[in-house]
Amino acid sequence: MALQGLEIRRSSASLRGGGTGLRKMATVAKYIDTSTCIGCKACEVACQEWNDLPNAQTSGPQHGTYQTLPTMTANFWNLIKFREVETQDHGLQWLMRKDQCMHCDEPGCLEACPAPGAIVQYVNGIVDVDPEKCIGCGLCETGCPFDVPRYAQATNKMAKCTLCVDRVSVGLEPACIKACPTGCLQFGDKTALLEVAKHRVEQLHGDGFAQASYYDPQGVGGTGVITVLKHGDHPEWYGLPKDPTVPTTVSVWKRVLHPIGFVAMAAAIFGAIGHFMAFGPKKPKDSSRETGGEV
Amino acid sequence: MSELRIPGSTRAAGPTAIQVARGREDVVIGDEIVRHRLASRVIHWVVAVFFFGALFTGMPIWSPVFGWMAYFFGGLSVCRWLHAWLGVAFAAAAAVMAVLWLKEMVFDKSDRKFNVVDYLRFSDREDPDVGKYNAGQKFFFWLVMVTGVVILLTGIVLWWPTYFNQTLRSISILLHDICFIGFFAAIVGHIYLGTAAEPGTFHSMTRGTVTRAWAKLHHPRWYREVTGERR
Repeated sequence: MALQGLEIRRSSASLRGGGTGLRKMATVAKYIDTSTCIGCKACEVACQEWNDLPNAQTSGPQHGTYQTLPTMTANFWNLIKFREVETQDHGLQWLMRKDQCMHCDEPGCLEACPAPGAIVQYVNGIVDVDPEKCIGCGLCETGCPFDVPRYAQATNKMAKCTLCVDRVSVGLEPACIKACPTGCLQFGDKTALLEVAKHRVEQLHGDGFAQASYYDPQGVGGTGVITVLKHGDHPEWYGLPKDPTVPTTVSVWKRVLHPIGFVAMAAAIFGAIGHFMAFGPKKPKDSSRETGGEV
Repeated sequence: MSELRIPGSTRAAGPTAIQVARGREDVVIGDEIVRHRLASRVIHWVVAVFFFGALFTGMPIWSPVFGWMAYFFGGLSVCRWLHAWLGVAFAAAAAVMAVLWLKEMVFDKSDRKFNVVDYLRFSDREDPDVGKYNAGQKFFFWLVMVTGVVILLTGIVLWWPTYFNQTLRSISILLHDICFIGFFAAIVGHIYLGTAAEPGTFHSMTRGTVTRAWAKLHHPRWYREVTGERR
């Protein structure tokens, strides 16, 4: 169930956005410094525990990395991605990044979702799914530029990271943040965390990582997850898309085809009525059935 | 008790037009001509029921403007499940219809003379060469066939969220949508021309028969073929 305590900023499949805009609240964000992450997976465990998710089956094909699972699943919302990249300037880099829902400011999942209220964006920017309203169509997966939502066959519902909205709404930090031993995860107001990120990027510049930057892609209006990257010019090394946007097809579908569809439907109906008035019925002049009005 | 005789009824002379229409078509009985035998009419209405079922379960998923339609089926979750199966049923029924009707829907030389503007003006300048189906009807048939195939294939891609990649799914969304808009506009025209615009036509799809006058007006060559009359 979607959380009742927080006001909604935006809601799926609602014609006028779905928010009331009455109570303003600062946008929250999660700060991830990949340069100080040690890949301990405490965040993964905390996520599973707090959200009462079942243990993940880790047996199966091995990928030669420390990564718990090949990808996130409907029962595993927080996954540290381990990657090895050969770089020109810094030799072999062992990169790890905590992957989860990015809580976009303009969420593609929410835009693509056809079920009213199934995906909501709370006034503080957290994007959440309401399983009671989810119809299990999987269009959110198509709309997401980060490959985050997971459709579960067993429940016929979508599931993903909620940014622990149930904790945040009562003044606690998300479970993953609380569990992090190195402080590479922080939580708070987005504006404040952007300052933290800028400061950290400057430090990294000084440490010889001239390309360091933080990841807050504007193609989706910015994200609720700020990720500091030593190799900021190569987000794809961390499994992040370079310039993520809501897929063009989804925008075209909702913003172009929908209006065209409504116009075409109206045109067909009024066209038929207009044609009848202008040209009337075509009927034989000398037949009782047709002229008698029976069809 | 003596048998009830309706004056002018053809019962005494043999089977009525409607009885004949159960099994045969293109036959003249008195003032009537059998246009659609029972099998043709049944498959038409089977296709129609599945079409509208799929349409009305799909529209609330398409836009919240039509969200009220979902309540007639038990909610949006039911629609998401039912829409797929009704779509499959529609496709299956349309495939049977295609087999039954294919021969009559092949375009021939006389169809080249079909002028859609002249036709829609309902002018008195009748084309004497229009056979059992005019080019517009044949075009509608082929439109349904092509659109039906595309909407089925894209529908299958959208049915199972996990089995297809997202590029294919996003293209399918667009194509499924375009097919739906085309289907909606086409069905409005189809219903209008089959009922209000051309009286007598709907009767051919319910009881199977049309009057001689109707056939002579709308399908003159077909009329000559079945009656043996000359121009």
